[in-house]
Amino acid sequence: MSELASQKPADPALAAHVAASIAEARGIYRTLFPTRRLHFVLSMGHDPVWARPEVTEGPHLPRPQDLGADYLGTITCPGPHPDAPEVTIRLAIPRPPTPGELRQTDAPWRPIRRLDWLFRASPLAYEQMRYGAEMLRKRRADRRADRVARPLGRGSALIGTPRPPASDKRPAILIGMHWLEMGGAEKLGFDTVRWALAAGLRVFVVASIPSIQRLADRLPDHPDVTFIRLDRYLPHALWPRYVERLALAENIRAVHIHHCTPLYDSLPMLRMHLPWVQTIDSTHIIEYANGGYPRISGVWSNYLDMQHVISRELVDYMQGTFHAPAGQVVLGRMLDRDDTAASLPPLRLTAGQKTLHVSFIGRLYYQKRPVVVVECLRALDAWATRNGVTLSATIVGEGPFEATLVALLRRHGLSGKVAMLPGKTDIPALLGRSDILLLPSSNEGLALVCYEAVAHGCIPISTRVGSQDEVLPEGLLVPLAPRATIGQTVAAVDAMWRDADLLARHKDGLQQAWARLSADPTAEEVLTPVYRRIAEGGGA
Amino acid sequence: MSVLTMTAAVIVTFNRSAKLMKVLDALAAQTMRPDIVLVVDNASTDDTAALVQARAQADPTIRHLRLPENIGGAGGFHAGIKAAYQLGAQYFWVSDDDAYPQPDAIGALHDALMGFQTQTGWRPSFACSRVEWIDGSLCEMNCPRPVWDWARFVQPGQAWALVDSASFVSVMIPRWAVTEHGLPIADYFIWFDDAEYTRRIARSYPGIFVPESVVTHDTPDNKGVNFALVDDKTLWKFRYGARNETSFRRREAGMLSVLAYAYGVRRQMRGGGVARPLRRAIYRAILKGYSFRPAIERVT
Repeated sequence: MSELASQKPADPALAAHVAASIAEARGIYRTLFPTRRLHFVLSMGHDPVWARPEVTEGPHLPRPQDLGADYLGTITCPGPHPDAPEVTIRLAIPRPPTPGELRQTDAPWRPIRRLDWLFRASPLAYEQMRYGAEMLRKRRADRRADRVARPLGRGSALIGTPRPPASDKRPAILIGMHWLEMGGAEKLGFDTVRWALAAGLRVFVVASIPSIQRLADRLPDHPDVTFIRLDRYLPHALWPRYVERLALAENIRAVHIHHCTPLYDSLPMLRMHLPWVQTIDSTHIIEYANGGYPRISGVWSNYLDMQHVISRELVDYMQGTFHAPAGQVVLGRMLDRDDTAASLPPLRLTAGQKTLHVSFIGRLYYQKRPVVVVECLRALDAWATRNGVTLSATIVGEGPFEATLVALLRRHGLSGKVAMLPGKTDIPALLGRSDILLLPSSNEGLALVCYEAVAHGCIPISTRVGSQDEVLPEGLLVPLAPRATIGQTVAAVDAMWRDADLLARHKDGLQQAWARLSADPTAEEVLTPVYRRIAEGGGA
Repeated sequence: MSVLTMTAAVIVTFNRSAKLMKVLDALAAQTMRPDIVLVVDNASTDDTAALVQARAQADPTIRHLRLPENIGGAGGFHAGIKAAYQLGAQYFWVSDDDAYPQPDAIGALHDALMGFQTQTGWRPSFACSRVEWIDGSLCEMNCPRPVWDWARFVQPGQAWALVDSASFVSVMIPRWAVTEHGLPIADYFIWFDDAEYTRRIARSYPGIFVPESVVTHDTPDNKGVNFALVDDKTLWKFRYGARNETSFRRREAGMLSVLAYAYGVRRQMRGGGVARPLRRAIYRAILKGYSFRPAIERVT
């Protein structure tokens, strides 16, 4: 008789994927438990990103759920001696992602079920209602009392503090990111990896959010850069212990946190057991719901050696709300020093011109309010028709709102005028042929894209959020309420189109703001010296 | 796609023991034999139970799932896939008791599911065979429905067209599809349960038609499902079909889709000269289908 289906050899590509996943997980748990006997209970997962790790320290009795339909087998890695205590790790090996998941993991956005009818009837009314709910949440969040920095006892000289052990390895840095996907904070995270490497540090990178980590291939291909998939294989509760082990094993002298929650949770361990490790974080946007990462950073102020921020608003927030020392909060703009004021091209828009190209660049998530972008374009199209102007537009980005935008553009008859392009589009080239950049976000820190727009001759119009007033003059900032955002955006365009003097004043204001920002130190300028000192054995 | 390949064949039968034995012979001769052959016996009153149990003595892969009453093909497939899921199968090969797979039919479906994902990265929600009638012609009632871009991955030697609807005659369904989308609707009793189910799981990604996997469907005649063919003998089946498809269309696309369906049924019956009382019975079934809302059972 022929063989049974279950005896059929596994597909070689899939077998290689499983073997690589097991090797990654073994490496992590061997670092975490160097003196234990590791017992892996493996199953085939249905999730492309998350291995659903469960760790049991001590004897483990197999249960029926360990041996379900997806059970792959067990692997035992001996400890350093025969009676080493046992640790059992249950893992569901993530399956390979599909092409659709590689492109977009999030499900397409849909209005909440009860208000589906409202969105169909009027997308703008729906946005207005959502805005109202968001503002209500903000008012409630403002009343919360969790905006106090946690005290940190420095200990007594009577009792000694731990000292770094001798290591024959070059100093290293652990850089924790939210995830390795598109985003401003992530861009800074990638930059810091390059700067730390250039400063002579070995670099370990981790991410807190399980994800495809689509941009992992943008990490420098260098033997001193290691991306460890803790996001996939390690429960958050075990991160502090892992960080301690990794720091001791790899001579990690600094931890730099970019929106990575479990590394904030590791700070007490670092301060107690590894006080020589320098702690740095970078934050960008104060969010409505609970303050977001700047609030987390503020709460941990006393545990951090350096709080790098990208705007003056955040400097004030850290010092005013959390009483962080002035020398600890460091402003470093997310700008490239290559862009000098001397090279700034003229802003393109002229009064009375007969064509207008409007662009939007951003991930298609609610934060960027893509529905408001379409409604703005619709209003601008009506304005252009009234004034004999030919309007065209480009929307660049990907995300769960993509299908909604396509449908809305079709519904408003804008499909022929608005091009939708993927995130990998050549942004400088697009900005170089755009007159106006729209950024009606519900929240921003200091949007780099506005700065880039000015550098390429395009005038940005943004909602008055975050530190946008540091890059835009008054007349180009619009209110946050959706209807007002749209009305004021059209009014701003109309005013510049009709009034050459006003346009000149706005251009002047933009160029002055651009020059002011350019005069501030860049993130690279404030972080690189710190990395160099750490590489040479000094502190932050 | 999984490194685990345990496969269960789910065969639903009712009072066709001779044909069922030929199916079991064909399964035993497969180049890739199912680990479990689950014979779902819809309370047959012939010698089915005795014959299956006798075979099971010699072949440990055969399991006899005897239902207490005849709950129709839909109920049988529901019960069979549910049982096979609980037995831990990763793939479910689902078929009728009068469809004989050629020796490499199941292996070809499995290879196609694997090969398709390796080459394209996409996970087909099912793979279905070419179903031939006893004279080698295409079996009219078992022709899968292609999607608009069915030819996207078709190439010489691997003519796997994308389809979104197939019959429960030699179709292989991966476990993840059952986990994500649940089981076939038992309450349909008969007809359209396979179309509803394959369309439901194809929401994740379409299935694939695998022409190199061939089965022979030993039906009395080779006719498609067309309301022009309604007569006194087949009326009961068409009534179930009309009710079930109406229910499905209302659920998926609303009233307009139901009206379009009713209009199409009317045209077919008028074109076929179906007697008025029979037509009225079909219209009543459509009306009944509009309020027929069977639940979809999930697996745990």
